Amino acid sequence: MVIKSDRDRFQNNPKLRPKNAHHDSPQDLEPYVAEPELIQAVNLAIALQRPLLLEGEAGCGKTRLAIAVAYELGLPFYRWNVRSTSKAKEGKYEYDAILRLHDVQAKQVDSKLGRDPANPKDYRRFGALGKAFQVEDCSAVVLIDEIDKADLDFPNDLLTVLEQPWEIEIPETGEIDDQVIRAKVPPIVIITSNQEKGNLPIPFLRRCIYYYVSFPKDAASLQKIVAAHYQTEQKAKRPSTPLIQAASQRFLEIRKEGLLKNPGTSEFLDWLEALQNFGSKPYSVSDLAKGNGIPYRELLLKMRDDWRKYPSAS
Amino acid sequence: MSPFNPEPLVARLFRRVRKRFDLGMQEYLTALDAVKGGWGDSPDHLRQILPLLWCHSLAEQGEFALIWESEMAATKEPIASKSDKPQGKSSRKDDPPPLPPTPEPEIPIAPSTSSTNFAPLPVRSPTLTLEEEPSDLQLHFPASRRSMTYTWRYLRRLVADGSVTVLDIEATVEQAARQGFYLAPVYRRREVNHAHLILLIDQDGSMMPFHRFTRDLVETAQDQESSLIEALGVYYFHNVPTDEIYQDPHCTKPVPFSEVLATCDDDTSVLIVSDAGAVRGYRRMERVRATTDFLMQIKQRSRLVSWLNPMPTERWESTSAEIIAYLVQMQPMDDTGLSQAIDVVRGQALSNRHSESTL
Repeated sequence: MVIKSDRDRFQNNPKLRPKNAHHDSPQDLEPYVAEPELIQAVNLAIALQRPLLLEGEAGCGKTRLAIAVAYELGLPFYRWNVRSTSKAKEGKYEYDAILRLHDVQAKQVDSKLGRDPANPKDYRRFGALGKAFQVEDCSAVVLIDEIDKADLDFPNDLLTVLEQPWEIEIPETGEIDDQVIRAKVPPIVIITSNQEKGNLPIPFLRRCIYYYVSFPKDAASLQKIVAAHYQTEQKAKRPSTPLIQAASQRFLEIRKEGLLKNPGTSEFLDWLEALQNFGSKPYSVSDLAKGNGIPYRELLLKMRDDWRKYPSAS
Repeated sequence: MSPFNPEPLVARLFRRVRKRFDLGMQEYLTALDAVKGGWGDSPDHLRQILPLLWCHSLAEQGEFALIWESEMAATKEPIASKSDKPQGKSSRKDDPPPLPPTPEPEIPIAPSTSSTNFAPLPVRSPTLTLEEEPSDLQLHFPASRRSMTYTWRYLRRLVADGSVTVLDIEATVEQAARQGFYLAPVYRRREVNHAHLILLIDQDGSMMPFHRFTRDLVETAQDQESSLIEALGVYYFHNVPTDEIYQDPHCTKPVPFSEVLATCDDDTSVLIVSDAGAVRGYRRMERVRATTDFLMQIKQRSRLVSWLNPMPTERWESTSAEIIAYLVQMQPMDDTGLSQAIDVVRGQALSNRHSESTL
């Protein structure tokens, strides 16, 4: 077991970002408030070189975590958005045989293509994992977003890539056997899934570190998130403390009453932003606390029945 | 304070949760790795680490928390445990339910969390006690939705007569090489699954507890994206199919059985889902006779007939199911049974496990 240096230890403190961050590392600060258990899970995943699988409600910061980790550690960040048609191979590389064929013909007309049909390597494009495997001096953070959207077999196809010996074969360019692309430093893989049922295949789950990201339970942690979110904003744009308190109270009340679709943290932040900056002056704290209807309910209620339940506050 | 040695605790916990959470040796070694790497130097720390490595859903995390509590209560018997556990019968008189063993007051929590959050495992004994080896008590539950979706994929008769949309790179390159210039890409016909399946599902009565699974079976088969079955007929009946069967699960839209039979040719797969009397455990000759008649009618049309019984094989004995299992390939509705049934209806018959064992 390799215990890594402090450089690879996530502490949820963006100030620790090293000066010489990798050029593919996220450039903008990602405010994120992680529970201590989540920080631990991230560090465990890094230390054991296992993928970290995040499940939880939509809009609770599953995706953001990966960016926050990459930002703080100054590591390159590669994101792979999985769609219903995604194949496991796309994360490694794509090979454009048709373009190569086209180039053979086009070369007779225009010799300045910038690509040489004799060199198959000009026609492969690396995916998120492919890029991450080629980073040499540090690990890369790979985000495989919404893995549950893909085909049933997708997670299983990924298994062999995400473990020892961390290598990618590209038969089209002859990068096989001793030519394979082998990661010098294994990447930090963060996977998100929306499915609350245990619907990913068991062999895949067995290799992952599992963490369930839940919605902040109390107003205090919501306020912490708000503080982190607005830390870089100018003072005039920041919501006042009473407004934050009233809004988080009200928001938790709305969630408690049992909506068909509960709004998440991201919706809360949008709502707060609207309360503060959408009107000509911030929304009145006393009106909000009174609880007659919900101002800007269109930000929070996304189902028709929920919508009917609450009148709008004008 | 004596240094905390986590390894025996990890081993004990692993033994308890291994079968439950379907863990392998690799998971145990990983946990030891984590411990060696300084991740489990206190019990609290360990309590946070192990679920990350071993649990793969919220429900499992809840279950693990219970097992952890009981394990801690067992090991810390002499020391006053901080988790406020009752240490014996006498020390807790204010507790309303006077239940003797330690973890028992917490038991009602376990089924409730698992039923709300853990959809694919709905059948679990509610009287589960943590002290016993729990895997022995886990009831037979029919195949999961995921395995159904998987299994349907094997039911295919691929014929390339779909639309001409698949780009054939090899042929394109070859044609370009032969002609000396590139003219147009070569397309192939898309392969289409010509499988024809008739699902006959027993509904209501003794099949009531299995409605969830028969519904899953129908839904996964109907899901065009994953199952690719081209022609699918789903029909319902009650106990034994008569002259009329129904097109809907509530048995309100009748359709003559002869009409369904007319769509059947020798490539049609027929899958019957019924307990054949095994749930209530009776053996009635009239049911067997009616079922035989019905099976004979189907068998005149197609030999690709299989029967899925949601009850486990042990429960077929001395019921009508045992007799019917001689007439048709009958499989229990678990993962293996399901894939064997699909093998039969796609014409790759295996020997019937049940008849083999009883013959």
